[in-house]
Amino acid sequence: MAMKNVKNVYPVRGQRALTEVQRKQTSNGANYWQVDHEVRNVFEVKGITVLPSPRAWEKFGWTRKWFEKKPKEGYFIWVKKEVDFPLATCITIATPKISQNLNNLLVIEKGIKAKAIVTCNAAENKLCGKHRAKGKLILKDNVSLEYNHFHKWGEKDFVSPDYEFILGKNSQLLYTYQNLFPPENLQLKTTIYSNENSSSKLNFIINGLNSNIKIQDIIFLKGKSSQGIARLRLAGRENSQIEAISKIFAQAPSKGHLDCRGLLLDRTAKISLIPEIVCQNKNAQITHEASIGKISEEELIYLRMRGLSEKEAIDLIVSGFLNV
Amino acid sequence: MGKPLLRIEKLKVKGNGREILKSVNLQIKRGEVQALLGPNASGKSTLSQVILGNPKYKITQGRIFFEGKEITKLFPEKRARLGIAMAWQSPPAIKGVKLSQLLKKISVDRLQPSHHPPAFGRHLGPSSVKLTEARPLLEREINVDFSGGEKKMSELVQVISLNPKLVIFDEIDSGLDIKRLTNTAKIIKKELVDKKVSILLITHSGAILNFLRPNITNVMVDGKIICREKDYKKVLKIIKKYGYEKCKKCLPR
Repeated sequence: MAMKNVKNVYPVRGQRALTEVQRKQTSNGANYWQVDHEVRNVFEVKGITVLPSPRAWEKFGWTRKWFEKKPKEGYFIWVKKEVDFPLATCITIATPKISQNLNNLLVIEKGIKAKAIVTCNAAENKLCGKHRAKGKLILKDNVSLEYNHFHKWGEKDFVSPDYEFILGKNSQLLYTYQNLFPPENLQLKTTIYSNENSSSKLNFIINGLNSNIKIQDIIFLKGKSSQGIARLRLAGRENSQIEAISKIFAQAPSKGHLDCRGLLLDRTAKISLIPEIVCQNKNAQITHEASIGKISEEELIYLRMRGLSEKEAIDLIVSGFLNV
Repeated sequence: MGKPLLRIEKLKVKGNGREILKSVNLQIKRGEVQALLGPNASGKSTLSQVILGNPKYKITQGRIFFEGKEITKLFPEKRARLGIAMAWQSPPAIKGVKLSQLLKKISVDRLQPSHHPPAFGRHLGPSSVKLTEARPLLEREINVDFSGGEKKMSELVQVISLNPKLVIFDEIDSGLDIKRLTNTAKIIKKELVDKKVSILLITHSGAILNFLRPNITNVMVDGKIICREKDYKKVLKIIKKYGYEKCKKCLPR
């Protein structure tokens, strides 16, 4: 993407010089970067509107329907044209005891194929920060979105994202949430509303370590021939409590599947998996599988005989299980 | 040849509360190829697992030495790093981990950081025989839905990449058709035997012995090595004709 198509619409005072990598990332596409409450960068590309949410609320009246109330912070991205690079956003906490309260809105117009890389993280390990995010993602008809959501937190943070995806007719969503560095407390809520012939595939990859994690994902299969799959891979390491409630509601002739798996690695860990399938249409087909297992001694010894230490072997097996 | 690379003295081993090995003595010299024959459940696989340090088995008596140092109580990974490798008879599947990932982790560079340039490339160059065979496996998950032959190839590539001093092959030949068997034997010869790596070959069949011509053939029956013989053909002939029991005659030598 040529630089002339990129304009920095939101220069911020006291902005630090970007590193080469960041410059590359930001110049590579629509980009929103927020640290604490401060918007560090907003880059727009032709056909893609990027604004802090409060400005979007003022500028585009139609966004109010989605925001519900006037947002304080967060981003608005409106994709009107297909681009051949991923949209990137990054929300960081960097100050001790900071409390973010974000409202994000992503709207993708009809027929567009898009990819997003969304990162939320803590700049340091023990900030005791709070990150709350309410997101709405609107996929209009025939949209295809690959949404990669990465979380990396400090061990004392509180994080609570609540994302809703609204899938228009024939649209496709591939959503991957990956959290290998969990906060002390994570409450992750994801809701999918699927219209006619749309499909969603959700992957939740979570490595629990010294954390309390509550996951709730619901797929509403509202439209005829809609499809939904939720796949959970949860590793329970030291002092982690993970509870996952994974639901599918079939309201139309549709297909859905839940695939929930846990791997318990420590005696101080606990995983609870609660798959729930609800069918309100006699032509729908909803299935689920759930299991919680442990590391196989045989696999462990096999890898150790290849020269890996016990810890290295466990890490490799867990990374395979989580598929990262 | 010279001093023994591996020395096992009066080894008694229990597994699942049952005595499996009953005073086993074994010596393997540098560069030597030895075969270990025996009926099912005679303790051959247990012996190989114990040499590698599988904690599932309890050593109740005896000691194991490698290059003169006692390794009886070492962790499996320490033994692997000293240069002992084993190709498993039925290796477990490691879901989600590609063979190439594991090879990168276990390649000799990591074990011996002083080695350079990268030995991984050297041992697994695209031109080498084994990689041609193993290439389709590299991007697959380890042993997940591998056929019998693919598992053997994967094991072979792994042990070679460890750059070992001693390799124990636990029935590397079982279930292989004659073409694959020949090829496997060729790779073992070229990559290990010709490079003076010692081999302990656990097998049921004579075919692989014809290719690799062991210096010594051991016969194990009921947890004991009852025969050590230089002429593998003679052993095979007796086993074929009279069964393993007859080998006991070799015992009082």
